[in-house]
Amino acid sequence: MSAPRSPFAETLGSLIRQRGVLGSMVVSESDGIVVDSNLQIGVRGPAVAALAASLYRKARLSARAAGYGDCAFLQLEAAQGRVCAVGRGDLVLVAVAEPRANVGLIRVEMLRAVEALA
Amino acid sequence: MTIAVVEGWIEEPLRQFVDEARVLLALLLHPSGQVLAQHGFTRAVDVMSACALAAAIHASSGELGRQLDGRPFGALHHAGRERQIFLAPAATPRGPLVCLAVFDEATSLGLVQLYFAELRARLASAAPAEREERPVLAGNFEFELNRNLAVLFGRA
Repeated sequence: MSAPRSPFAETLGSLIRQRGVLGSMVVSESDGIVVDSNLQIGVRGPAVAALAASLYRKARLSARAAGYGDCAFLQLEAAQGRVCAVGRGDLVLVAVAEPRANVGLIRVEMLRAVEALA
Repeated sequence: MTIAVVEGWIEEPLRQFVDEARVLLALLLHPSGQVLAQHGFTRAVDVMSACALAAAIHASSGELGRQLDGRPFGALHHAGRERQIFLAPAATPRGPLVCLAVFDEATSLGLVQLYFAELRARLASAAPAEREERPVLAGNFEFELNRNLAVLFGRA
């Protein structure tokens, strides 16, 4: 008997198919724990998930404290890649990508996909 | 940040764990309940109680794991309304230790797990190689417990 398919499998699959995306995860914002993931070998899923969820939470609280409402999309540019995050409720959709990845496309895909998290 | 330790090699790994994981309270103890280091406690009696309870929980969950799964369970997490506990073993050349961490919404279980893995690695590399061969519950358990508490709270 095969394992039941996660409700996030399709969302994560569509993200990982984007050029340059190395991993996509649905993470609990409050716990920083991976709910579901689709990762290439070498991506430290639990570590990225915990830190990205914490970062997203702080960004969301900062935006709210500044009176700017919710955090719509978070993008972290690092020397050797990018981390993108978008949330809905207690869930955060996280994508890890190479520098060559098209952030515009990833952003559109994530904003579309986040609707499925609700 | 106040870290109190009975053995010096524990201090830096525990300090980094508390600093990075942002936990409110942290205890490192022998599985027998003897305290080795603490952060966040202000009274010796609280450390003594927490160590006794942590050792009991660790022993119970370990035995439950052996009964159900053939080997002890690993980390244990219990979420309360405002505070959560994380209890996990750490193997070192000096023998197994148990870490109890209490945290709130300033951090998360994922972060505590992440930095606990680093604490475990740091403890394993910082521990002196020699190991004292002593029974788990020595006859002078209470004397050693009181001595360790006195060291932690500056009464030694």
